[in-house]
Amino acid sequence: MGASVNKTTETAFEPLLQFDMEMEDFLSDWHHCDHVSTYLARMISHNRTDPVRHSNFFSSALNELLEVSFRGGTTDGKIGLAIYRQGATERVQLSFPCPPGQARFYREAVSKTRESDAQARYLDAISNDLAPSRESVLLDLAVNYDARLRLDEDAAPAITLIVDLPLEGMVS
Amino acid sequence: MIAASLPQRFKVDFDPNSQIFSLAGTIRPRSIDEIAESIQALREAIDTVRGVLYIDVKRLIQMNNTAFQAFIRVALDACRERSDLRLIVVTSSVVSWTTRMFRHLSTIEPQISVEVYDSMFYPGQDYFEDTSFIPILRAQTKLTWRHERTILPRHGMRPGIAVADICCGIGDFAVLAQKEFQPSRIVALDHSKPSLAYARKVAAEFGVTGIEYTYGDASEMLLEDNQFDFVSCRHSLQVFNQPELLLKELYRIVKPGGRVYITNEKNSHCLGEPRAQSIQWTYNELARLLTNFEIDVEFGPKSRRYLTDTGFDDILVESFMVTNLDGDPQDFADIIAGWEKMFADMAVRNGEAPEFIERFRQGFRDHIFAALHPKGYAGWPIWAASGRKPL
Repeated sequence: MGASVNKTTETAFEPLLQFDMEMEDFLSDWHHCDHVSTYLARMISHNRTDPVRHSNFFSSALNELLEVSFRGGTTDGKIGLAIYRQGATERVQLSFPCPPGQARFYREAVSKTRESDAQARYLDAISNDLAPSRESVLLDLAVNYDARLRLDEDAAPAITLIVDLPLEGMVS
Repeated sequence: MIAASLPQRFKVDFDPNSQIFSLAGTIRPRSIDEIAESIQALREAIDTVRGVLYIDVKRLIQMNNTAFQAFIRVALDACRERSDLRLIVVTSSVVSWTTRMFRHLSTIEPQISVEVYDSMFYPGQDYFEDTSFIPILRAQTKLTWRHERTILPRHGMRPGIAVADICCGIGDFAVLAQKEFQPSRIVALDHSKPSLAYARKVAAEFGVTGIEYTYGDASEMLLEDNQFDFVSCRHSLQVFNQPELLLKELYRIVKPGGRVYITNEKNSHCLGEPRAQSIQWTYNELARLLTNFEIDVEFGPKSRRYLTDTGFDDILVESFMVTNLDGDPQDFADIIAGWEKMFADMAVRNGEAPEFIERFRQGFRDHIFAALHPKGYAGWPIWAASGRKPL
């Protein structure tokens, strides 16, 4: 799929925060995923209707994305995370370097999240797999968080996952 | 019973008597190996039970897909191997993602059902959270605040600190505290969605911003450990049937060196002149009646013991009397009128005789009479207490 960001939509999203880290440092400790997702979720949720529950929900989704980048990323370059808001939706833009050839994998995985059988694929994955694949994690975001996912490959070899999370309406 | 403490603030527990396997805390392992002990605990729990196993995830704050898939693998395999087994997963209405993730299990496996815990948090809840009671709650806070605004600094309230008001009800105390003491952060938690909706509406109407109103169960909060300098819990331990559980949570979220502040009543000490005898009788009967609803309106003087037993030190206890002389006597009278209606309804529910109920009501009316009498005096005693979490 490899859709580029729709510039018209992009301008409607208000930037909330941006976070960069050397990928090598990020990959040095698994707990970075937990710490970063918890901390950033709390920061961006403070002015939501129910900040505590929004933060919990958002952290859950963001952690999965960070774990995807942790498991699939390479040490060259930086991980970049930007969070935007439009109404009841937060947009997460997560960029990270990945090995050559992996972009195609993400392209297909993201594409599957938008297909009509996404839920069936997700149920099949959690029914039969011993451990989650990166594909089933992205399906989880689409099915359980009503996320809409896209991929930006403009900065290859880094990829950017663009994930819209309409959690405010789900929490409240 | 087995219990294991694992990395990442995670606990697994199995109670064979009630056949409940519970997962609590945050679990985000990198690999299944990190949680092998807990996975094995679930297998052993399943092997132990007959019929139904409850899997309680009400207190599960975070769980990544690695852990989720590992645990459900065990559950699904067990159902495929044992046709006699039924698994009931109990999620919380507070933690949004758990219900959305676990709900799929019943689709995948008919032997698994998923229940959302969203019922009564305590036995008398439907009375105290009736929206018709809101004006009474507002009047109560209006009168108690006249005392508490001077009492609170003695118990650790000061500007610039992080505050949590647990069981905040309609949120008026949080608004007053924010206005008077300007904390750096204030979280107000309650398990009544209508009360919180009212609180948010009032805050918006008055242009009050910065109060983080949140829906939650006070005995199982999403709030993290050691976050607040000052935690208040007003008039709630007395209506909660397990106050020690609630206190344990208050202790958990307050910082070492911070203080937990509680207020409670001793309703049999409500008083009035004239007609003291009738008033006294009714409030004695009220304390007795409410024990049938697991409500202890005599809790106030027990505060010191409960705080001590929870582990607090430097405990301060004082009492104050809200009276008809605190501003407009009609405010006091309105509160008592509200009590009469609510508690008479509870007496009816409890099966009391009509003669009892009439005499019971009369005591409240006499309290109102005393409050509005030009030479009368009417009082409602409250105990304020606080304890410090040791450093």
